[in-house]
Parts: sequence; C-alpha cells; structure tokens
Amino acid sequence: MRLESTRTAVTETLLEMAETDPNILLVCADSVLVIRGRLFAERFPERYFDVGIAEQNAVCCAAGLAACGFVPFVATYAGFISMRACEQVRTFVAYPGLPVKLVGANGGMASGEREGVTHQFFEDLGILRTIPGITVVVPAEASQVREAIRAVARCDGPAYVRVGSGRDPVVFEPPAPPFVLGKARVLRAVGREVALFGCGLILNRVLEAAGELEKRGVRATVVEVHTLKPLDVESIAGLLADCGAAVSVEDHNIIGGLGSAIAEVAAEEAPVPLVRLGLRDLYPRSGKPEELLDAYHIGVTDIVEAALRVIERKRRPARAGRPTA
Amino acid sequence: MTDAAINGLVETARLIRRDVVRMIHLAGDGHPGPALSVVDIVTALYFAAMRIDPSRPQWPERDRFILSKGHACPALYAALARRGYFPMEELPGLRSLPSMLQGHPDMNKTPGIDMTSGSLGNGIGLGLGMALAGRLRGLPYDTFVVTGDGELEEGVVWEAAMAACRYRVGRLTVIVDHNGMQSGGAVEAVSGLVPIRPKWEAFGWHLQEIDGHDMGQILEAVALARRVGDRPSVILAHTVKGKGVPFMEGDNSWHKRVPTREEFAAAMAALGGEG
Repeated sequence: MRLESTRTAVTETLLEMAETDPNILLVCADSVLVIRGRLFAERFPERYFDVGIAEQNAVCCAAGLAACGFVPFVATYAGFISMRACEQVRTFVAYPGLPVKLVGANGGMASGEREGVTHQFFEDLGILRTIPGITVVVPAEASQVREAIRAVARCDGPAYVRVGSGRDPVVFEPPAPPFVLGKARVLRAVGREVALFGCGLILNRVLEAAGELEKRGVRATVVEVHTLKPLDVESIAGLLADCGAAVSVEDHNIIGGLGSAIAEVAAEEAPVPLVRLGLRDLYPRSGKPEELLDAYHIGVTDIVEAALRVIERKRRPARAGRPTA
Repeated sequence: MTDAAINGLVETARLIRRDVVRMIHLAGDGHPGPALSVVDIVTALYFAAMRIDPSRPQWPERDRFILSKGHACPALYAALARRGYFPMEELPGLRSLPSMLQGHPDMNKTPGIDMTSGSLGNGIGLGLGMALAGRLRGLPYDTFVVTGDGELEEGVVWEAAMAACRYRVGRLTVIVDHNGMQSGGAVEAVSGLVPIRPKWEAFGWHLQEIDGHDMGQILEAVALARRVGDRPSVILAHTVKGKGVPFMEGDNSWHKRVPTREEFAAAMAALGGEG
C-alpha cells in the first residue's frame, strides 16, 4: 500500500496559499511538529503563532485574528479541537461565523493507532456536525487534503478538515477525481444493487470491497461523502432511492458521523435498509492502523458481508409490527 | 482631563446606571449587580479613553472592546446607545425576541459590539488575537478586555495570560472588575483565586491597582497601560457589586434578579435626577 502524509499536505498547501494571500495564518498549540509546520514557521514567522499546549486559547486567539480580517488555520489533534476547545469553537468561531479554519490530525482510530485512546479521535465529526455553521470535510488522501484546504480557505466562515497520522493510504491514481466542496461523488458505479458510502482514510477499503463484490457478481456503487456538512442530501437521497440498500463505512463512532448522516437522509428522504460500519460505540485499543481497522470490523470482508446482508434485507424486508412469538 | 470633563463622565455613568436598572426591570431578566459594578469603567472607555467612531463601527483602526463578563451587557448596551451606535429606543427591548440586544453580546446583531461574549474566561484570548492582528496589520489600535474577578478561575484565562506575555503584546489591556463576588458567593470563599495580584505579576503582566469607581483613576490607569509598550497590561479595578443602588451594593442576591416596581422606584430615586 502506497502512503503519503495528509499532515504534510496541509502545510504544503498553506505555504502555497500564503505566498499570494497575506491573510493566511497558522496557529498552533505546540503542534507545529504534528502538522509538519516548520516550513511555514520559517517562511512566514510573523504569520505563525504557537500559544503552547493550550487549545482553548489557540481557538480564541484565532477567533480574535479572524475578527480583524485574517484567515487563521488552527492545526492540532482532532480531539483537542473538537473536545478540549469545543465550546470555543462553537461560541467564538461558529456562532459569530468567523473564518477560522480548523485542521484536526489523528482523525479516526487508525490514525491514532499505537498511541491509544487518548490520541485516537473518533467522535470529532459527530461533535462538530451538531454545531450550526461549520463546514466539515473528511478528505480521503493527501491530494484531497490539498483540495479541501484550498476549498475551505475560499469559503466564508468556519470549517474543519480532518487529517490522519502522516502515514496515510493513497487511494486515487492521479489525477484524482475533481473535488467539489459540499458534493458527494460517485467513485465507482458497477451497478445499483447497493450503495457503499464512505469517507476519509478508509476509502481504499470501500473501493476494494466493491471490487470483491463485483467478483461475486454483486454490483455496487461507491460514493465518497467527503463533505459531511453541508451534506449533499439530494445526491445521497437519489442514490439511496436508486440502490434501495446502503452500507456506510467510516473510521468514527457509528453514532454521529457519516453513518448517522446517511441514516438521517434515509429516514427522511429515502427509507432503505442501511448497515453502518464503524466503531460500535466503544473504545478501541492501541495497534497498527490496518490491524485496528480489521479488528474493529472496518475490514474489506466486513464491508462485503454488510453489503450482502443489506441486499438480502432489501429483498426480504422484515415486516414491522409482526409478533415475534 | 479637566474637572468639568470628569464630572461629565460621572454624570454619564449615572445616566447609564439608570438605563441599566430600567432595562432589567422592563426586560424582567438580567444581572443588575455585575452590570452596575462595571459602569464607570465602561463609561470611561467609551466616552473618553477609546479611539472610536460610532458612525463607523467597523472602522479598521478603532480601539477594540471585549466585555468578557458578557452578563454585564446592559451597561455596555446603554453606553453604546448613548454614544450613538444605535437609538436609545432599542434599550427597552433587551432580551426580547425581536430585539438587537441579546441576553449576552452578539457581534453580528448589535452595532458597536466588537466580539461576541458571555461564556466566561475567553475574552483575553480573543483580545490577544485582536491585538496580534493589529500588530500584524500595523494598525495603531488598542484592545481592551473587561473581565470579572470570579471569571479568572477559568483555565483559559491563564493560557491567554501566558501567550500574551510570550508575544510581548503591548496594546492589550485587561481591566478586572474586582467586585469580590461571583454567582455562588464571595470569590474568596468559592475558589482559591485570591490573592489575584501576584498571579498576574507572576505571569509577567504590567499591573496597576485602582478604585474602579474613580473616573480619574480609571482614565489615568488606562493612559498608562497604553504606554507600557512591550508587554500586556492589567488593571485590577476594585469595585462594588451593585454600585450606585444602596440596597443592591454588596448584596449578591442581585447577581441575577429583577427589581420589583417598588425596588425599581427606590433604585431610580437613589440614582437621582432625570434621564
């Protein structure tokens, strides 16, 4: 498996944008190494701030800078942004609609890998998705992080971009398909028996599972939902209705993230059977990323089995209200 | 500043205190004690010290103000209205659905509010960002943050206090409305915060201690704070919660409480005069 750093992609893109846009700033909370930000700090020392291990203040400080016309990127671990500084994000970034751009590293269990639960963040998307006014993006690989960073810098208001460990799988053969903020995109459309929705650094597994299904004669459509908010409800509802069965796959708690988002659309717009794959509301262990994903049932075989199961449910719907005895 | 000018500010503060009590009485909701303790500080800033232009609330070079103790906002709203940011007729609408005057300050709804506030502890970090922005842009403005004293129990206060010194931000002044009380009682009884002064000194801030109800002292301290130059400044302003209304002074039940019709009349009589 080829790897490329989604963290380095952040700083490279910031450096590139900062050359032409004097408003781009980088705010760290002793996270400059986390985000591979040394190059930015050296190139633009006056536009780089490190407030120390103090995420709440990093977000406040960025909000103050943004209120004076700057576009600060706050980059540190995903959980310290979404949990430690959650209230600052909500009240002083999202509520006033200030253009603070948050970058969360170690997004997902696998990105936190051997560090253990304190550094594995699988609640960030659910937490931030409930806050009004934040764009939430979950890129699938480094090239997509570059696209996402450029896109959120261009859009007004607050945004969150989730990145990984720095040893992140490459999914797309270049050139990657076009990235449009706020749009779900079909990556592979063999057929409409089941829709496989995925986001983030596990997308390679979803694509592999679709290939495996095809070998078994099952025609799946793979949909990448890289923007969880604003959610592309129209496309998702259309795909749900067309396929009549769906699986969601994410490196996140199945509560609050992509699976919940798809379930919300399904319930309101296109009720079809759905299986959510992700962490099943538990704390994982330390381990190597690929082993963790397999151990916690976000493996290729899990996706294949979930697809077969949900297609079966589509064919033989359980009758609601039927007595069980 | 001349005696006449000081007397003018004292009179403005009296009018703002009347506005505060009336607003909370009419709204049937609000924090009179914390608002009254901060009135003289807010008046000194908005009517004398700050470089502002009410006809251009977004003027990039204006001095910035953050009311970190956002629950005292009736005092700020009254000052903004009397300074001409919006009509006085807005004041009675406080906290009502159609009003521009939210329960706590909202920078997008009320002209003149530089920063949303109300959740305690965050004003200094927000002000630090504004001060850094001014330095980066080469703009000659100062940033003033008014905090409560109980509010200093929040950890993020000291995160910001550290960073402000590390960045040697000279144009950031924090004024602590040190009335000694917080929601649950005396600050000294609730927490281990007291003594406050050595904490700021240990964090490296330029510190002054004043009577927060003495207009001359407030203006002098603010003028000195502006000149410090190479580090942030804190003014520990000793105040009385409920200042100006004798039956509210020092009575913490007025932290959040609405004056009845009789109490309202008594308060207005105590505050004296017309307006």
